[in-house]
Amino acid sequence: MRTCRSIAAGLVIAAALTASALGLIGGSELAASAQARPRVELPNREDSFKFAVLGDFGTGDRGQYQLAEQMANLRTRFPYELVITVGDNIYGGERPQDMKRKFEDPYKPLLDAGVKFYASLGNHDDRAQARYAPFNMEGKTYYTFKAPKQDVRFFALETDYLRPQQVTWLQQEIGRSDEKWKIPYFHHPLYSSGGRHGGQADVAAVLEPIFVKNDVSVVFAGHDHFYERVKPQKGIVYFVTGSGGKLRKGDINPRSGLTAVGFDTDLAFLAAEINGDQLYFNAISRTGAIIDSGVIERRKQE
Amino acid sequence: MLVSASVGVVIGALTVSWPTAIRAASPQGETKRVNPNAQAIADFQKRVEEYAKLHRKLESTIPPLPKEATPEQIDAHQRALGRLIQQARKNEAAGAIFDRDVRPVFRRLLHGLFTGPDGKKFREAIMDENPGESVKLAVNGRYPDTIPLSSVPPQILKALPPLPEELEYRFIQNSLILLDVHAHIIVDYLTAAVPR
Repeated sequence: MRTCRSIAAGLVIAAALTASALGLIGGSELAASAQARPRVELPNREDSFKFAVLGDFGTGDRGQYQLAEQMANLRTRFPYELVITVGDNIYGGERPQDMKRKFEDPYKPLLDAGVKFYASLGNHDDRAQARYAPFNMEGKTYYTFKAPKQDVRFFALETDYLRPQQVTWLQQEIGRSDEKWKIPYFHHPLYSSGGRHGGQADVAAVLEPIFVKNDVSVVFAGHDHFYERVKPQKGIVYFVTGSGGKLRKGDINPRSGLTAVGFDTDLAFLAAEINGDQLYFNAISRTGAIIDSGVIERRKQE
Repeated sequence: MLVSASVGVVIGALTVSWPTAIRAASPQGETKRVNPNAQAIADFQKRVEEYAKLHRKLESTIPPLPKEATPEQIDAHQRALGRLIQQARKNEAAGAIFDRDVRPVFRRLLHGLFTGPDGKKFREAIMDENPGESVKLAVNGRYPDTIPLSSVPPQILKALPPLPEELEYRFIQNSLILLDVHAHIIVDYLTAAVPR
């Protein structure tokens, strides 16, 4: 059995669960275990910015729908305004009936409530998704937008095809951004303990220096089909949230040395809340168990 | 006056020179060939641009796709454009864009990258969920909806001749394809692009 991975390292003060919660036991036990452990609650302040992170989800399978239900349940008590997606939004066919079954139906309660999805594209996604209205990409495969509350700017990148123009664009946009929180999100993780994929070194070589230079504090990616919070790398906390509909059980390599908290036995998404210089997060499984939680302090220029 | 230019791309210890123009002018106005590879590349880029012009011309004949479209609009647009391009290029065969002159140039460049110091990293990236033999290489063939695209490392994109936004380089097994991203069809392909 793995040891408890609760950590208080670097910028993260996190309350994680025991090895049992990391997936060596079933969902109901996990939920019970989660209740027994201390965790960082989302403050749920009225003036904070609340959002969710979802990746690798558009299968149309039962598991996706069940996790979507948890997302809808959470929103009844934690009114997040938007969802960022870290790619592989739709698996397989992308005909109108597919878009309905794999996106519009499972997230209907959220869409009906006015929650906006801001997508990034993965290797399973047709580029035409950039024009799919509910993904709010306005025809662009990479783009930036300001959060409706707090001092936050997101950068949705296309790591599957990182043209030199995109890199130049990112350098310019993130360089001129004066928001306190600059949050990139994209498909291929720079760091991951995934046995199937793992960190994408070629992409990391290009993007990481930009993130470090521009005081990025947190990065969201997917591609590997599990949840992982990576130990801070050069001061940045990397999340892998590729567990929105696809799951690769047991794929986290426990010897990677990267994992702060990993969960690879069930689907999960991340809920986050930014208030001032803190980002609070809860990772929530298909059964509703909180499998990781914590608060990240924003990096600031020395 | 014609301008001779080259873009040098350094990847690890490997330096790849990628000339973008082919002729230099003498003071008397005579032109002379300065680099046979550059000639092949310039011709390749002309063919790519001609393709892009055809694409835009054909796309202008169908209802434009709004920036915020329905799935029905996206699907109808993509398939209509695909049919128009397939019809317009029905006589094209492999090598229409990757012609015999440019093929060895691409292969040399890519072999240099994939056998260079970062070659292992590049290979891992393009083989990660590479569709392999599940996609049949065919000019004008629709890239299967159910098959993921191979990632292309940014360092390789930087080293290859730039493409207009309608086209992308992708890898299928060890072949390099030109993919029309609006129509989702294979425009041309180059076999043995990546050393085994």
